[in-house]
Amino acid sequence: MFFLQSLLSGILTGGVYALAGIGMSLVFGVMNISNFAHGDLMMLGMYLAYFAFTLLHIDPYLSLLLIIPTAFLFGFILEKVFIHKIIDHPHQNQILLTIGLGLIMSNTALLAFTSDPKILTTSYSSSAVHILGGISLSVPLLLSFAITTVITGILFLFLSKTTTGLALWATSQNREAAQLMGINVAKMSAIAFGLGTALAATAGALIAPTYYIYPMAGHTFLLKAFTICVLGGLGSVIGAGIGGIIIGIVESMSSTYLSSDWKDVVVFIIFLAVLLLRPQGLLGKKGEQ
Amino acid sequence: MKQITIIAFIAGFAALLPLAIGENPYFIGVLISVLMMAALSSAWNILGGYAGQYSFGHAAYFGAGAYTTMILISRFNINPLVSMVAGIIVACIIALITGSIVFRLRGHYFGLASIAVAEIVRLSALNFDFTGGAQGILLSDVSLWGLDLNSKLPFYYGMLLVLVITLGITLNLRKSKTGYYLQAIREDQDAAASLGINLSFYKNKALLISAALTSVLGSLYAVYIRFIDTTAVLDLRLSIEIILTAIIGGVGTLWGPVLGAVLLVPLAEMLRSNVLGDVLVKQGIVSENSGLGVFLKENLAHAHVLVYGIITVLCILYMPKGILGLFRRKK
Repeated sequence: MFFLQSLLSGILTGGVYALAGIGMSLVFGVMNISNFAHGDLMMLGMYLAYFAFTLLHIDPYLSLLLIIPTAFLFGFILEKVFIHKIIDHPHQNQILLTIGLGLIMSNTALLAFTSDPKILTTSYSSSAVHILGGISLSVPLLLSFAITTVITGILFLFLSKTTTGLALWATSQNREAAQLMGINVAKMSAIAFGLGTALAATAGALIAPTYYIYPMAGHTFLLKAFTICVLGGLGSVIGAGIGGIIIGIVESMSSTYLSSDWKDVVVFIIFLAVLLLRPQGLLGKKGEQ
Repeated sequence: MKQITIIAFIAGFAALLPLAIGENPYFIGVLISVLMMAALSSAWNILGGYAGQYSFGHAAYFGAGAYTTMILISRFNINPLVSMVAGIIVACIIALITGSIVFRLRGHYFGLASIAVAEIVRLSALNFDFTGGAQGILLSDVSLWGLDLNSKLPFYYGMLLVLVITLGITLNLRKSKTGYYLQAIREDQDAAASLGINLSFYKNKALLISAALTSVLGSLYAVYIRFIDTTAVLDLRLSIEIILTAIIGGVGTLWGPVLGAVLLVPLAEMLRSNVLGDVLVKQGIVSENSGLGVFLKENLAHAHVLVYGIITVLCILYMPKGILGLFRRKK
């Protein structure tokens, strides 16, 4: 019973991780940039959900309708102002620039909102659904998993059916060839970064009701998102989705059978093991490392 | 003037500096921080600047030195110098494990893997009992050869000595076979490999030198402050500050990291101790009781990381080769 309980909560949490991982993988695929500000963008999403709830009295899940466009615009502008300038730079400069942007975001949040953790308590925050006689599933986690599934589905339709989506796909396959085919790759980069930001903020908003909200929250999620991307194969959107679920399960299992203090260590050991044994990730192509 | 003469000259000047400013503990404290960051960043620069392998996890080696030293002194009353050597060994073991995993990878992966290793070390220190867990380790008394370790001066000269050694190694490296190999690896790994350079051997060599020096600084810091916890010595932020210092001064140059530390550490210190806020108030730019004045007084102390972030972004966008890079001859 413990096992099943742990497995199911792992899958539910993993869904949200997957969303964060997909956002990072999309940016990596299209722009070939490791976005170290990804965790801080998630943190901004958490605060957006928090303030939408406390100031505007909008349900955190409903507030996604506001958060997604806002975050997309924010990411789009970030790309146009900062990121596109370093797209041809050595990768360490890209990492440092996004670290710098992340530091600005988290420390501005620190100045504006102080380091006191905030808690978003909805009427259903601690309610749970009981199934199969003893397994309880938290309502916020179930809701966020459902929303994650819908958003991932929409994203896939967008990437595979629309012209813009296909152009993004093509850019991530081969930037130069895409450019030669008349795709505006600069615009694709801005759209990819906007989408990545929107996905990060969505993931942040989705975990806001079940997590402490504080300015440095992004740090933990950044490393998790990287683990997910590497596990799935950097740049692979489907891989990131699967990677997210796996990491969710691993975390939940190690909390149950080991100790919740060590769950992050287990995640990082898996990360290193993947790098050692299969650096191209589960779904990545060989020879990409 | 030869670089080595400049090092000797500056070291001599730094050695005499405490005599000139007297025993002002505050200033000596700031100077120790400057020397420590200069040495940390220079040690990072051997791997990051010359071999082109950007480690984002150098806090692991600093923490390895700090923790090993503190545990050995406080639990087993072992001589601080012996504990320091033990720290070097622990740091080198971590470095070898890291190196064997990550040096087979390139580009994005190396940076990510170095963070993962550092996070494993940090979380382990936080969760094990023998490392003091979240409480950290407090050292009540320590002695070495009758030196007055309550004074800051032994640590000032200790940090200075490590900085000079690090600069000496860097200088020597630049002119040696290893140094040329490392720079070849930085410029083009495939070309370097095709010329018969053993990539992983030389990368690991640079990492070991860098990690050993970093661990010595960690040991010195721990005995100097006499208190360590994971936030102080193993945090990702420390790793990032080390890199930023080198970036802002000039990566891959002898003096860049030193220049970065001389500029950044006092700036951070000024923000932290609210000197900047006080100056703004005294100059009449901001009124003390106005909303902005109160806000600055309360918050400027936390703002130094924000300022680091802004400087990093500006630096990467407009001056990616750092301050010294601006004066370098164009090729």
